[in-house]
Amino acid sequence: MHRTTGEQVIFWTLPAVAVVWLAAFFVFPGFLPPMSPTWSPARVAAFYQDHTSRVRYSMILFNWFCVALIPILMLIVERMRHMAHRTPIMRYCVIGVAGAAPIAFLTSTVFWMVAAFRPDRAPALTQLYNDLAWITFTCGIPFLAAICVFLALSIYLDQQDRPVFGRWVAHFNVLVAVALVPAGFAGLTLTGAFAWNGLLSFWVKNVAIAVWIVVMGVVLGRATARQDEGAEVRA
Amino acid sequence: MTRRARWTDPKRELWLAWYATVAFYSLYAVVFFLVTRTQPPGKPWYTPEQVAGWFAGRHTGLLVGFALIFVLGGLSATALALITYSIRRMSVSRAFAYSYLILYAIAAVPGFLFICVAMTVGTMRPGRDPAVLRWLYDLGFLSFSGTMGVFLLGSLIWMTAILLDRNGVFPKWFAYLNLCNALTEVVVAPSWLFHGGVLAWNGTIAWWINVVVFGIYTGTFIHLLRQVILREDFGTGPLPAAPRRDSAHRVLEEVMAS
Repeated sequence: MHRTTGEQVIFWTLPAVAVVWLAAFFVFPGFLPPMSPTWSPARVAAFYQDHTSRVRYSMILFNWFCVALIPILMLIVERMRHMAHRTPIMRYCVIGVAGAAPIAFLTSTVFWMVAAFRPDRAPALTQLYNDLAWITFTCGIPFLAAICVFLALSIYLDQQDRPVFGRWVAHFNVLVAVALVPAGFAGLTLTGAFAWNGLLSFWVKNVAIAVWIVVMGVVLGRATARQDEGAEVRA
Repeated sequence: MTRRARWTDPKRELWLAWYATVAFYSLYAVVFFLVTRTQPPGKPWYTPEQVAGWFAGRHTGLLVGFALIFVLGGLSATALALITYSIRRMSVSRAFAYSYLILYAIAAVPGFLFICVAMTVGTMRPGRDPAVLRWLYDLGFLSFSGTMGVFLLGSLIWMTAILLDRNGVFPKWFAYLNLCNALTEVVVAPSWLFHGGVLAWNGTIAWWINVVVFGIYTGTFIHLLRQVILREDFGTGPLPAAPRRDSAHRVLEEVMAS
């Protein structure tokens, strides 16, 4: 008889929270198109006055659910147990950054919500909170980039006949890590591809994260299912 | 040693983590001392106008230096992973190892992400009100030196584990160096109170002595972690002495043959 395991319960939260993430992304009025860093303080203040509710509700959703990535990352860590590694070092590396990755994003939601809490405060202060939110959101990639690098390395080192993840998943993680790099430099310019609303720092980075979640979700689901089958055969 | 032999080295993950640790701390020193020149730190008694001048004088350095940390800062986890592994190798409960890992992992956001964000935001708009710039300056330096508890408890956890350990993973004197590092987190607390003097965030005690202790501590543990990797036999009993250099190849061949 097929038994629902705890891991399956965690795994199927992913599509559910992905819907919430996507919804919050569309509800936030500053993503489509992304707010420009060249806006004057008055325009930034007007944005928060005009869209107070949508900023608050979208960021409450993100604040609630961005950390839902952590249990998914722990499922990946559990799959890593079955890799042909001699030590648990690579798992410790992933655990070491798994919390900070979504917490960096959570911190940016706090700044966005503070900006929207008193939209009538001095425009220069609203701009300050808006800058803190956008820089934390855009540049706060060190932990996610590290997860990709650690995963890629773990998969390359998983040298066995039936590796936990295919080799292409390692290449894919390297590619995503590279796609995240330009966003780290978003503070250097207010215009162009590197600015926080630019092609590289906003579109490439966020599309890479979205694709990473989908692809890792699929390969994680397959690896978990294969393992459950193995467990049933042994039983 | 052939390329293939190195790739199948049972210690390959440990060595990768160790070299990444060396790379991270080198990057950290270069970024904070040379590129951003945020160490030694700015003066806590600066007026808003002086703070504006401080940001202006470091414009490109702050933005490029902290961008490098934004990109590569996650490498810091390799040191945590190695230390966690070393505690696991001791004859103590794994609770020590996992406590250390979690304490240092959660330190990352207030301990180094905040200063990167505050300084980047302070630099990206040169025309910003100097009073607001000083707010960011305070946030950057105080969050960086004033994130204390996680490092205090983390060092004490590592110290206690070393003192209780019967596997001889680290020499006992290193436990007391952990205590010294923990004490730096105590003497830095007054930097939350004073705007000038030896206890301020740039003072002789709260900065100069602390940075020397931290430097010695970090250099020492990186060296000792290397020794732990050299000595590792993947057993659970006492950690053997480091193999002599000339016998290292023989040991590796034996491991590969088995």
